[in-house]
Amino acid sequence: MIFDAPTIDYAGLSPIIALTAGLVAIVLAAVIDPIKRFGPVLALLAYAVTAGCLIWQWNADVDLVAGALRLDGLAVTLSLLAVVSAAVAVLLAIGDPSETQAGRSDWLALLTGSLLGMVILAQATSMLTFFVGLELLSIPLYALCGTNLRRRESLESGLKYLIVGSVGSATLLYGLAMIYGASGATGFQAIADGLQAGDGMLSDSLTLVGVGLVAVGLAFKVSIAPFHQWTPDVYQGAPTPVTAFMAVATKAAAFAVFIRFFEVALGPIADQWDVLLAALAALSIVVGNVGALAQSSLKRMLGYSGIAQAGYMLAGIVTATQAGVDALVFYLAGYVAMNVAAFAVVVIRERQTGFSDDISSLRGLGRSKPLVAWPLTIAMLALAGLPPTVGFIGKLYLIEALVDDDWTWLAVMIAIGTMISLAYYLRVAATVWMSPADEPEAAAIDTAALPPQIAGAQVDPFDDPHADRRWYLLAPAIIAAAAAVFFGVIPQPLVEFANHAGNALSIWIS
Amino acid sequence: MTATWAWLVLLFPLLGSMTIGLTFRVLPERTAGLVGIAAIVAAFVCGILALIGLQGEPHESRHVASSLWEYASVGGFTIDLGIYVDPLSIFMVLVVTGVSSLIHIYSYSYMKSDQGYHRFFSYLNFFVFSMLVLVLAGNFIMLIVGWALVGFASYALISYWYRRNTATKAGMKAFVINVVGDIGLYIAAILIFKNLGSVDYTAVFEKAPEVFSVNEWEIVAICLCLLVGAFAKSAQMPFHTWLADAMEGPTPVSSLIHAATMVTAGVYLIARCFPLFELAPTAADIAAWVGLATLLIAGTIAIAVTDLKRIIAYSTMSQIGYMFVAVGIGGYSAGMFHLMTHAFFKALLFMAAGSIISAMANMQDIDKMKGFRKAMPFTAAMLIIGALALSGFPGTSGWFSKDEIIDFAHFRGGMYDWMWIGMLIGAFMTAIYSFRIIFRILPGPACKEAEYLEQHGHVIHGEPKNPATGQLEDTEVGYPGEEHHIAEQAGGMKFAMGVLGVLALIGGLVQIPGVSEVITHFLEPTFEDSIYAGMHPSVSQAWTGLAEGALISIAGIATAWLLYIKRPDLPARFRSRFSAVYTLCVNKWYGDQVIDFLIVNPVKAFGRFCNGVFERGVINGATAGVAGITRSAGAAVRDMQSGLLRGYAVLMLFGILAIVVYFLIRSI
Repeated sequence: MIFDAPTIDYAGLSPIIALTAGLVAIVLAAVIDPIKRFGPVLALLAYAVTAGCLIWQWNADVDLVAGALRLDGLAVTLSLLAVVSAAVAVLLAIGDPSETQAGRSDWLALLTGSLLGMVILAQATSMLTFFVGLELLSIPLYALCGTNLRRRESLESGLKYLIVGSVGSATLLYGLAMIYGASGATGFQAIADGLQAGDGMLSDSLTLVGVGLVAVGLAFKVSIAPFHQWTPDVYQGAPTPVTAFMAVATKAAAFAVFIRFFEVALGPIADQWDVLLAALAALSIVVGNVGALAQSSLKRMLGYSGIAQAGYMLAGIVTATQAGVDALVFYLAGYVAMNVAAFAVVVIRERQTGFSDDISSLRGLGRSKPLVAWPLTIAMLALAGLPPTVGFIGKLYLIEALVDDDWTWLAVMIAIGTMISLAYYLRVAATVWMSPADEPEAAAIDTAALPPQIAGAQVDPFDDPHADRRWYLLAPAIIAAAAAVFFGVIPQPLVEFANHAGNALSIWIS
Repeated sequence: MTATWAWLVLLFPLLGSMTIGLTFRVLPERTAGLVGIAAIVAAFVCGILALIGLQGEPHESRHVASSLWEYASVGGFTIDLGIYVDPLSIFMVLVVTGVSSLIHIYSYSYMKSDQGYHRFFSYLNFFVFSMLVLVLAGNFIMLIVGWALVGFASYALISYWYRRNTATKAGMKAFVINVVGDIGLYIAAILIFKNLGSVDYTAVFEKAPEVFSVNEWEIVAICLCLLVGAFAKSAQMPFHTWLADAMEGPTPVSSLIHAATMVTAGVYLIARCFPLFELAPTAADIAAWVGLATLLIAGTIAIAVTDLKRIIAYSTMSQIGYMFVAVGIGGYSAGMFHLMTHAFFKALLFMAAGSIISAMANMQDIDKMKGFRKAMPFTAAMLIIGALALSGFPGTSGWFSKDEIIDFAHFRGGMYDWMWIGMLIGAFMTAIYSFRIIFRILPGPACKEAEYLEQHGHVIHGEPKNPATGQLEDTEVGYPGEEHHIAEQAGGMKFAMGVLGVLALIGGLVQIPGVSEVITHFLEPTFEDSIYAGMHPSVSQAWTGLAEGALISIAGIATAWLLYIKRPDLPARFRSRFSAVYTLCVNKWYGDQVIDFLIVNPVKAFGRFCNGVFERGVINGATAGVAGITRSAGAAVRDMQSGLLRGYAVLMLFGILAIVVYFLIRSI
């Protein structure tokens, strides 16, 4: 008997290989004392190589590992977004108590592991790689949320995310099992074929319940209402660099597989699930925007805003057209820029004011620190969808795709949601520029309430009055804000980026 | 060439705003003011050059669409960063930049002692830029952009003195109501794109008659959505409540945004979209009737309230009501003409009011003002000119413009005759409240502030108090500075008011029926495809109308004289005799309460419900039973500080259940 090993396309696998090698290097470097402190450099290097491989494979359109993965435009673009967000998280975490307490190398290893999961997820075209990627993404993230060992909120958010995330994974797995039962296949294309070949399988209750459960599982990951409740809590509790990573990278990867699974595997029954996803999108838009109105914590507010934004993006899947996917990817790219700018400023303010992410900690920022105030203001205006920012074009793009496919009511929901959202985004801008500049007092830290110090955890460098002059914090904020404006004025490059993702699906959707 | 000048019109205010905003640390205060003025004057000059370029074109090609670059091209949808230059937009550009230049010059002196001088001029320039984007926009997307930006600028300027609670609240209110209007506009644009496949003005207006038949429900819906935007921005019923509160902003802001420019955007919108409104006559009629209702109700309120700036604000609402009637019934050039003259005399009235309020050490109650005739002769003269023009006294600008609208309604006849009668009553009230201001403030024995000014030659020094609540406020950010300035002693104020005074007096001469009619001819290329293009009253009809207007205006002034000079006891007796009517008017017809009841409270309640009941209550309740079991599950979970995990689990379960049930039902 001759055993034929599948041919391995090393070029196509190069991003995954590079990232895995980087992960190994980071873990190994942790035990070698002299180079231990270069962890961030090592991580950034690994991400740069990964990004390089992705760009090298820009025009790739290949099935890998016997059809379990597929490197195409969609995978490349969304992986790039995830890699960029991870690099930002590394920068933002420099000097962060979470990183120092958990141990720098361990923290970076967790982050890299999660990123590896994302890159796999973005390429997944089989239920197995889908689930493996999702878990590889999630499990390190649960731990990362709890890495600020001396803060009760951080530990709590880690635990909460773990419990809720497990429910989500379990639901997803259950749904996948049912779809496997209905179609008899695990590959996405094979599922589509299987569903069409089976007698009456397209509207069988087994299939449809499976679809519902998969939708729920993915909705957990991208925080779509009514599966969103964990989002504000976890966003608020987790260390901010982790929150930033979670907010943008997770969404990029999860939406990649969301698109692929629904448009490819479940494409034949698009008219069964589109109403449901539209309803979920509309609900998210309402819940996210209304919920954000009353928040006083900036991170919580960004959590609710993330729910609303996820609702907008989900609308791109509803249309089941290439224009919808284009719009989604465009919005996602803009979303990365806007959120990176916002979270970078939150990190700066937190360090200066002793872990206060209250909106009042921004008072008078415009006068005293314009370099910090501008990125935040731009981020808020962009999230609110005001022209000339990338958020404005992104929403137009989505609305156009929706109206074109006769989802006018959902487009109107986006418009209404956008208008509501102005209230809380502009409140932040108003606090920054129109409040008197009295220095906020550092939030008092009740040392007695702190959990016992865990062995190995170091003392917190809570205060860093010069955080607004650290290049590794300022640079992400300023570059991201500049990008949000640049692509708002000259959106064409980003439109092509998004088209590249959409074209990858041209075989399956119109 | 015309298009280039039009682009420069946009560029200068933007540059001005950015320059002042970015250099507030290095630029001396006065220089910042001068930069601001220079930017707007430059825009005005470019506007005139664009006008000359446009007039050089042959009659039928007097419109230029210009695109700087393709802003975004997605799918079948391209958005140009485009402007549309035609007589209508140039007309608006000239009104906006012209009046803005004067108001900038006024502010240069008026805000002299304010600590936020840079901020003020930066905002003011930014506002002018946004307003110009709005009027020059070449497609509905650019229009929305401008629309949203002016809303934001207005919010920033109303809340300019941000230490004042009342000011920040008023800013929020204006913003919220304007956002409701923005939603209307947004939906209108979506529907337009859905039905016509484009958002470009030229394409939309060309295609609309082919796609829609007259009064088809879809075009009516589009126009009604546009009207929601127009009503909110122009403070027409039922979205009128924000304008009176917006008087919390500095007086130049009231003059610029809330009298001369921004609030007329709704009128411009209807005039601009006339091809759509003529396909939906029902919507156009609604616009006219709402305008009529607003002009009458706002008129009664203006007679009752005693706050000087708020009287003028209600008068603004009322005058914009006239413009809405005009553009609603097809009298486009009449409406635009009144928009122009109103910008002159209303800006003037606000400036004069600002001067008086300065002399009163920031008090705004006209019951406390008296005898300013001698102390402030220049301001008094300007106030009288403004009031004359507002009440449509023969020969003034307001006489020509207002009576052209009234006459046009009569000319249309039928049900529009009711509007004609309503507007005549409105004109009578206008004359009464305009001269109520004059007769209360100017004649009689001088009040202590006026006396002090006469004797000492400078303004009395008052405690810095919030005129609305009487609270003390700090002079850094909550007050127009330590020192007040009046027109008699400040060159900038005097110059701006003088120019506007002349314009308010003689501005109407450009449009004398049968003689000059400059505005009508100038706007003709824009409106020549209108179904009302050839329709206008004959010269003799027009003059009959003017004569009626003159009579009513004089009768109104005489009545005011009777009420406030001859028999000052009469108003009090009216008040006690018809206390119900008085209470209704002085409480602004309970508009605030109605809006609170209809919009604000439900939204608040919904927010509370989501926050309190839904997130905590329902979940708490639903999980109370489960709690006991779970309590032993883990100590760490028990004292979660933020949010209730158990509750989340239950809610998620419900969500999953709902989705599964949905699919199960579908599969049957």
